[in-house]
Amino acid sequence: MGITYTSLDTTKLSTAEIYAKVLCDLAEDDERIVAITADLAKSTKIGAFHERFPERFYNVGIAEQNMFGIAAGMAKCGLIPFTATFAIFNSCRGLDQVHTDICYQNLNVKMLGTHAGTSFGQAGTTHHSTEDIAIMRSMANLTVIVPADGTETANVVKAAIEHEGPMYIRINRGFDQVVYDSMDYDFQIGKAVTLNEGSDLTIIACGSAVFSALQAAREIEAQSGIKARVLDMHTIKPIDADALRKAVHDTRRIITAEDHNVIGGLGGAVAEVIAESGMACAFKRLGLQDKFSPIGYHEDLMSHHGIDTNGIINAVEELLKMDFEEDEDWEDEV
Amino acid sequence: MNKANFYSTRLFLNAVIPVMKEINQEYGYFGNRNCKVQISVDTSEGRLGTHFVVEDGKMNTVLACTDDADVTFHFPNEEHFINFFKGKSTKLPKIKGLGKPGIVVATFRTLLKMSALLGAKEPPKEEAVKALVVKLFFYLLSTGISQLNKLGHEDVVNWTKTSPNRVYGWSVDGYEEAGAYLRVKAGKTKAARGMYTRSQPFFTMRFADLDSALAILLSTGDLLQLTAEKKLIMEGAPEYGAQIGDYMMLVGSYVQ
Repeated sequence: MGITYTSLDTTKLSTAEIYAKVLCDLAEDDERIVAITADLAKSTKIGAFHERFPERFYNVGIAEQNMFGIAAGMAKCGLIPFTATFAIFNSCRGLDQVHTDICYQNLNVKMLGTHAGTSFGQAGTTHHSTEDIAIMRSMANLTVIVPADGTETANVVKAAIEHEGPMYIRINRGFDQVVYDSMDYDFQIGKAVTLNEGSDLTIIACGSAVFSALQAAREIEAQSGIKARVLDMHTIKPIDADALRKAVHDTRRIITAEDHNVIGGLGGAVAEVIAESGMACAFKRLGLQDKFSPIGYHEDLMSHHGIDTNGIINAVEELLKMDFEEDEDWEDEV
Repeated sequence: MNKANFYSTRLFLNAVIPVMKEINQEYGYFGNRNCKVQISVDTSEGRLGTHFVVEDGKMNTVLACTDDADVTFHFPNEEHFINFFKGKSTKLPKIKGLGKPGIVVATFRTLLKMSALLGAKEPPKEEAVKALVVKLFFYLLSTGISQLNKLGHEDVVNWTKTSPNRVYGWSVDGYEEAGAYLRVKAGKTKAARGMYTRSQPFFTMRFADLDSALAILLSTGDLLQLTAEKKLIMEGAPEYGAQIGDYMMLVGSYVQ
């Protein structure tokens, strides 16, 4: 399909706007695509779909549970429903229907959770979504994707159409820092993207933390010659276990960074793979350290939780001091 | 005493002479003997030495002097010692233990073989000898760099003291036993033999075959050409390849 978005688009359109625009473009050629929201057409930007395809757009009102139930029914009829609501409502308020109506029946519903992590900053802690990755990735059959920026989100929407089965796509409120210049890179569901090569350590990030990780890698290399591999782990489930095992083998030091509670999210998913691999490494999870976030601007909250560039650099310095093998014997073998 | 002699003496004792163990393992000069053999030198800091404990013909290396060696090759000063090992002088050291001619001869034969292998201008013909020479050089160079750090060589110390925990490896495809590696962490170093298996080293100088390795180690080949032909593969950031190459040359400058 001839859809191309570049970093220029991401400076004009927010991530959610790109999502809606790509969905509209795809819907021109695919009549199965429908959109549903629970009174958040404007906030989630899915309203653009309403303007292009009013007959294929449904606003169920402030009734998330109904939205997911209706989406499940539509999927049963062969449609590809894209739901759009805040991530916190997707993963908490509507969870029973997500669990039983969609995931249990393995239906082809694509759920967009916007304003994820702490990106809804000033709206308050009740509207932050810092548990959704943990919750959603424990739903059997569900694919969980956290794109790094608007351009990657465009790739995710394209891939979502081609992918059969339920999917949760987690994006932020507003604009994201640009990670990708264009859609022309090897995006595949379940395959991490290596954004920077390195063999001292690996920083594995998702969502808004990817930009921070990349910046941190560039700064620490410039400052102290430390070579950090950066993986954009956009797919949390199924996670790219091969890339993780290779990272442990190649670099022996792993940092995860996510705008989410460190329990059960990207850090948890990575820890599971490492533990099962039987390989030892120095390991650190960055994110919300099992606490709710205070209220503030997203950038400030990223800094507060140590998932901005400086926070990741500090973690790198700490991790480099950690040992992963016996240190007592420094006699040369002769 | 000048600094160059200081490093040369200690590198010969701690990095070069120890490879006699590998030579004896290959050629079995000590048969099934049980003995102690020592090479020592008097320096301004006192007597230094390396000795081998030979058990059933197998050598174990100890980087120190012993009082009860069966045979000792002793050099009265560093100049004599360095010139002998650099091949600039044929003046023999004092030999204690001439009453045990079998051990003396075995030690001489091992030393002569070491001189022939490490001083070769052309690569050997036999595959097994090629593998041995590569192994000797890898062991010697990795240990040499580590020893320079331990001896306080300014350039090497400056490099190691800021280093995170990193492993530098040398290897030849298909000859894992010839590999060697150097672990560096915040000023500390450890040279070790074989392949580092806990993870991929931070940097590996990997050769596709023995001939390519020998071309670099004996300075008979062109590094750029071998790299272009993928006979020499720098696994890791290339600037670290250049860096480790400099330290290999540094070791070479002291013991050539």
